[in-house]
Amino acid sequence: MAGKTMVVTSGKGGVGKTTTVANLGTVLATKKYSVVMIDGDIGLRNLDVVMGLENRIVYNLVDIIEEKCRIQQAMIRDRKINNLCIIPAAQTREKDAVQPEQMKALCSELAEEFDYVIIDCPAGIERGFKNAIAGAEIAIVVTTPEVSAIRDADRVIGLLEANMLKDIHLIINRMNFKMVKKGDMMSTADIVSLLSVPLLGVIPESDEVVISTNRGTPLVHDRGSRAGQAFRKIAARLNGESVPLDDDRGDGLLGRMKRFFKS
Amino acid sequence: MGSSDETLIRIKANKDGFVLVPHPAAPFDSILRELQDRLAKTRDFFARSEMVLDLRRRSLKTSQIAALHKLLKEKGQVKVVEVQLSDDLKMALDQPSAPAQPPAPPPPRRASHGDREDREGVPVIIRSTCRSGIRIESPSDCVILGDVNPGAEVVAVGDIIVFGNLRGIAHAGALGDRSARIWAFSIEPSQIRIADLVAIPPKGDKSTSKRYEIAEIQGDLIELITV
Repeated sequence: MAGKTMVVTSGKGGVGKTTTVANLGTVLATKKYSVVMIDGDIGLRNLDVVMGLENRIVYNLVDIIEEKCRIQQAMIRDRKINNLCIIPAAQTREKDAVQPEQMKALCSELAEEFDYVIIDCPAGIERGFKNAIAGAEIAIVVTTPEVSAIRDADRVIGLLEANMLKDIHLIINRMNFKMVKKGDMMSTADIVSLLSVPLLGVIPESDEVVISTNRGTPLVHDRGSRAGQAFRKIAARLNGESVPLDDDRGDGLLGRMKRFFKS
Repeated sequence: MGSSDETLIRIKANKDGFVLVPHPAAPFDSILRELQDRLAKTRDFFARSEMVLDLRRRSLKTSQIAALHKLLKEKGQVKVVEVQLSDDLKMALDQPSAPAQPPAPPPPRRASHGDREDREGVPVIIRSTCRSGIRIESPSDCVILGDVNPGAEVVAVGDIIVFGNLRGIAHAGALGDRSARIWAFSIEPSQIRIADLVAIPPKGDKSTSKRYEIAEIQGDLIELITV
């Protein structure tokens, strides 16, 4: 049975692609799916650090492509979850060490074995981007509510469509609901209407994300975290479960109850 | 691959794109095979380029042209925009608008341009949202069934009609026709140009309910009319 291959991309850097990959991968793995995450950012690898696995790297993606090792040798198993693996990028090589066709072949091989293959795409729209999207059937575009990130996301969606990748979803990261309320930030509705692709979910801005990245443990391990909760819902939607989208007010149950009593 | 095979097809570049010239006498099968090899070897070098099929020295059957067309499109992502049958007989291919691609060939490709007659030519119709980084050029009018997002550019010799929100750059009357107009459900562009005039929308929101908006030149200024 072939699994799903998906690429997480954005165009602009620093919007949270790697964080998204780490968290979605972790949630899907805790749901007992077998998951492999591929770091596509050759030369600037990050995913291993976010997952806290950097000191266990022996072989990497380029070694697999150049047949210096078997796929299994380069895969690093997560410390806590058995069915979660990452394939790290090479840090000492450049993007053109890999061809899009080779990525495609690797992804289809991995999809035979795993339920989910998640590729972390580098920023930009050059070679690294083309490599990362070559093997994917589903694209997840991450953006933040800033005009520059949205403009880049729009461009990336156009490029994905031109490359015949039609199954495109949107994640809005680092949403500050207070600023939206004051009219200082684009709302979810504005962004979705501009980009016109289906929304998977909105992740609230939170300090916990930085802390979890620095510790090397994905946020979703922390039960109380709001951002982690958002990632869990997104993973469930990706998995085909029906979880209703939250509204833009961004408050939890307590806020909803307050609103209920006010009205 | 033998050196004789190289003359089976020739791919030349000119200022508008590529021209594919098949061998005048070689069997069609070997031409097709050679093209397939060539596309495989050059990988995506020709991807998203436009190609003219030059059949002035070699006549092919319709089914053979279709086979070439299909091969170029599927293996090389090349769009055949024109088939040249003889020196003064051209067949422009019907081009359904592929998403996220500027489907219109640049104006010089068409026989004549710049005069009033062209405005009555076939308008270019785009059936998708124009996203950032896309440039649409039309030798006559341009109709867009979708939004024009920031970072996208639409240039037309004639009018521009957007069945959606215009947020990118639009240039109507690109060859100097000051009577050209721009129509959209909502015009909130980064910049708007008609003929030789450029306008930047005033800051501040103007989200009043409206049916559509028209931009046109009145006197020496671009004015926005809300209907």
